Amino acid sequence: MSQEIEKIYYFIKRDITSFSTYKTNMILMVLGALFGAISYAYLGNNATMQSVLQLYHLSFKDYLVIGIAFSTYIGQALTLVQATATPWQLEEVLVSPTKLGTFIIGSSAWGFIWSTVVVVIYLAVGSLAFGVVLSVNLIGTLLVLALGIGTLVGFSMIGAGILIVVKQGDPMTWLMGILTSVFGNVLFPPQVMPSPLRVVSYFVPQYYFFTCIRLMMTGQSVQAILPDLLTLTLMCAIILPLGYLIYSWCLRSARKNGTLSWF
Amino acid sequence: MNSSVAIETHNLTKTFKSRERNLEVRRSVFNRREPEMVTAVDHLNLEIRRGELFGLLGPNGAGKTTLVKILCTLFPPDEGEALVNGFDVVSQQMDVRRSIGSLFSVGERGAFWRLSGYKNLEFFSAIYNVPRSKRHERIMEVLDLVGLKDKAFVRYQKYSGGMKRKLGLARALLPDTPILLLDEPTVGLDVISSRTSREFIKNDLSKKAGKTVLYTTHYVEEASQICDRIGILNMGRLVACDTPQAIRGIVKKGEVVEIRVKSIMDVQIEAIKTIEGVIDVVSETEDFVVGQRRLRLHLGSIGSLPIVLDFFFKEKILLIDLKREEPTLEDAFMELTGTGLEK
Repeated sequence: MSQEIEKIYYFIKRDITSFSTYKTNMILMVLGALFGAISYAYLGNNATMQSVLQLYHLSFKDYLVIGIAFSTYIGQALTLVQATATPWQLEEVLVSPTKLGTFIIGSSAWGFIWSTVVVVIYLAVGSLAFGVVLSVNLIGTLLVLALGIGTLVGFSMIGAGILIVVKQGDPMTWLMGILTSVFGNVLFPPQVMPSPLRVVSYFVPQYYFFTCIRLMMTGQSVQAILPDLLTLTLMCAIILPLGYLIYSWCLRSARKNGTLSWF
Repeated sequence: MNSSVAIETHNLTKTFKSRERNLEVRRSVFNRREPEMVTAVDHLNLEIRRGELFGLLGPNGAGKTTLVKILCTLFPPDEGEALVNGFDVVSQQMDVRRSIGSLFSVGERGAFWRLSGYKNLEFFSAIYNVPRSKRHERIMEVLDLVGLKDKAFVRYQKYSGGMKRKLGLARALLPDTPILLLDEPTVGLDVISSRTSREFIKNDLSKKAGKTVLYTTHYVEEASQICDRIGILNMGRLVACDTPQAIRGIVKKGEVVEIRVKSIMDVQIEAIKTIEGVIDVVSETEDFVVGQRRLRLHLGSIGSLPIVLDFFFKEKILLIDLKREEPTLEDAFMELTGTGLEK
């Protein structure tokens, strides 16, 4: 019996030793739990529901369904490039006469298509089964989506670039996940948070994306979201090319150091 | 640029930070050591002629895979230059990529496991710019060439190790390029598949199709059987480059004697290595039960043989057979690098 217990001890020791070598991942997991607790605490707060009604003139159910539908889409979009552009696939494609841009777009295209299907299912079920009221401003929605996707692809490329270098525990995806859940206006409006935290939201593109998309899904005009839309446009114009540059730089660095296919 | 040369390198050098870390040594944030640098390819000058089947031999860490990855534009060199089909691997990457088909030693990781062999090749034929109108025909052609036509529509995950390797080779052949870079193409294959692949590379790709093939391997016999010329790489340097016959001639200076013995211990083999005139000893167990071993002795001259035999007599080692041998490529490798190769 004691031998078997000793074996279990060595299994645990093996896993702790292995896990502790991925320090970034370890820190991110602990902090992720902390921020998760904060966002769920606000979700169950009465003040949140009142705030939603005041700010968006929506029921909390409508607010939540639209937010969760598009957060699924955003969550997938954020990890698209790193999930599909695995180091070994990168090696295979980088020895072929294929441009990096083609590779990134090609690798992530299906993910975007599938995310769209998931969003449509969410909204259809919400609308048909739970009476969520939708009045879609199609052009506005497509515009916000294009800007949101552009921004998120930028972050996704930054995350993929970091992953190519650090190999495990992509801090960008983690950071964007936290920012989306706590400051992104998905589960609760940031206005219910204390003002120092609320200010953080104004630097997070997801806040503008969710604000705009909710209003476009409930029939508002583009003029109604113009200031937020312009901020999102500016963010997209900065983050998308920046993401491409960082991804290209990380790729060059991994090629130079011969670490492309490590993981 | 010489048009009769398919691949050439001039003073090609590639250095990496060492992958090895001493896990027992804990370092503080303020006491970071400079990373150790490893020169994987060291001022390499190499010419591979058009239509040549060139074998690159070397032990683990010799720099073979690094060289292949530089040639296929995956790693940029730190110094020197490399030209593939006349194109520079740094400034003309796309032209280089259009000129090569490549197979890496861990190529199966780049495949899509839930797709069939055919669907995998269909994707790669698009990536490699195979014209759409010719794709189906070309895919079936390469599948036929590597003997996988019958399994074309079976999922990749159901392929055996040998079949996966063959599909990797088929992928390298898809774009029908003049140059093939094959990094250990027979690793993990059984004896029959390995021989079939070697014959295919020699007869079909090299002789019939006239392709230039750079073929890296650990296996000395493979290289000596099929390659027109062989380069021996050791610690990133090319220590020999010639035909297999000419490289064998390097050990003509000494004598090679093969001795079969019984009841010999490792410590006694080590003692033989210290006898004056013995350059090296390679030992191979032939029959574990009766303790029979084959010793391959590389002697400075035949005059050292009586001293060795006297040692056997004194140590009561039973001699079964003794014969003089022609030096092999492995003997040459031992002499050039002081390292054994895998068999």
